[in-house]
Amino acid sequence: MTIRAIVILLVTVVLCPPAFAEDSSVITVRKDNRISITITPLGGSSGGAVTQTLQNDLDLSGWFQTVSDARASFTIGGTAEGGSLQGRVTDSRGSVVLSKKYSGDDRSTAHQFADDIVETLTGHKGIATTKIAFVATGSGAKEIYLADYDGKNSRRLTSDRAISVAPSLGPGARYLAYTGYQSGYPDVYLIDISSGARQRVIDAPGTNSGAAISPDGGQIALTMSKDGNPELYVTGLRGGGARRLTRTSGVESSPTWSPDGRELIYSSDNGGSPQLYRIGAGGGSGRLIPTGHNYCTDPCWSPDGKKLAFTVRSGGFSIAIMDIGGGGARIVASGQNPVWGRDSRHIIFSSGSNLILLDVPTGRTTTIVSGLGKATEPTWSF
Amino acid sequence: MKKTHPLFTALALCLAVTLTSCATKKDRYAGVDGDFVSGVPLPDRQDGAAFLGGNVSRGQFQPVQFGFDAYDVSSSEMPKVQTVAQAMKSSKNDIIIAGFTDERGTEEYNRGLGERRALAVREALIRQGINGGRIQTVSFGEEMPVDSGGGEAAWAANRRAEFGVIR
Repeated sequence: MTIRAIVILLVTVVLCPPAFAEDSSVITVRKDNRISITITPLGGSSGGAVTQTLQNDLDLSGWFQTVSDARASFTIGGTAEGGSLQGRVTDSRGSVVLSKKYSGDDRSTAHQFADDIVETLTGHKGIATTKIAFVATGSGAKEIYLADYDGKNSRRLTSDRAISVAPSLGPGARYLAYTGYQSGYPDVYLIDISSGARQRVIDAPGTNSGAAISPDGGQIALTMSKDGNPELYVTGLRGGGARRLTRTSGVESSPTWSPDGRELIYSSDNGGSPQLYRIGAGGGSGRLIPTGHNYCTDPCWSPDGKKLAFTVRSGGFSIAIMDIGGGGARIVASGQNPVWGRDSRHIIFSSGSNLILLDVPTGRTTTIVSGLGKATEPTWSF
Repeated sequence: MKKTHPLFTALALCLAVTLTSCATKKDRYAGVDGDFVSGVPLPDRQDGAAFLGGNVSRGQFQPVQFGFDAYDVSSSEMPKVQTVAQAMKSSKNDIIIAGFTDERGTEEYNRGLGERRALAVREALIRQGINGGRIQTVSFGEEMPVDSGGGEAAWAANRRAEFGVIR
């Protein structure tokens, strides 16, 4: 045996220990991989209100564990006064890792600071500044509501006393598309959230519903029946140039866009019961996505492109999540109509009369909307 | 119009035959993009004519009922469709068909299913010789149940397509 061969043999033994050695020495420690933080109550006249919102945001984000300051990896503090917040995050050695000034009302500045903390400490986008919209019956009719992601700050957008349903928020919550029945037919309306201006954008013969604004904010995918069957179409944001995607004898519904806007996943009952299919945004033929469930509707594609959430029916309705790449669907809750947050970690869905926020990795649920009559069909801005 | 050269016609025929046989080998369907040629496009809406509006008379004809999760018009429901077809043949009034579902589906899918039921009844009327241009459709999904009690009997009653006659 040459010296060279001996060296190679030695290196191999050292670098690649037999697998059983590792397994037999495993000590099971239930390690909490959340980042430990401590929040020093913020100073200033708005300090109390901002601290409360900030605590709630950081808690709901799922990334952090609040501990006593001696054990914390990061300390969060600052001053809030007169519509401005000076926020600061220091590490355990006292070095500043984030220092930034925000302006706006107390909730808004707290949300902005919370999202910056999440992004700085985890590298992931936060959800605190995002908006949700949903349908609720509190006024006696189905109307569209807009709220912060935690259900607070809610306001009613429509007051038509017709049926207003199927809302979809575009990127940054600039626009909201929804289905309104005030003409007597289901038409798609587009609301400019900041100005409140509303425009009827799709009023083709028959039923126009299930609008989904594309990730770039420029297009709408929806179900239209104008050509004699409920099929999927893609139109411009203001309804122009409808392009037909599917041709089946069944019902296509609930399209959801891929993050790059190149593909759609939707529900179709063309094979009998509703199943999920994937199709190019330019058309082609829909490919079945095997889920192992008999009734699958309301798909939602996660913003990171990796996961799919949808409703399954087996007795009651349940929320299922699966990897886009394949693998089995797992049931995570009972309820319907799940939508992903932009962190691809949380989902919001309806259950009973309420909307529920679920942190998927931990399974923790929080009721975010209740007491507005029956709340359904949530949508969540990116 | 210019006269077509016989040779060109022959070539076109050959090409058509080749393409047809190709398509037949690939799949048995005849749709442009592969699988289904849908029904007759809906006519433009008529101003002010909405199913729930004052100028539409509802309840003149019996609603067509459907099976669970189904949109085919069963043979036992066909007499209802034939009654409407007869009435339309002796009248100039156009109609709106409104599709409804029970509450056991998810909401957006039910809107699609309700529309498909309305369109299935429209197709049945077209097969009875009625011009599709006289028939509008609309879906209300699971809204406005005739029986909000729940249970099999209520659900069966809610799975329906209603006729509205535009005055």
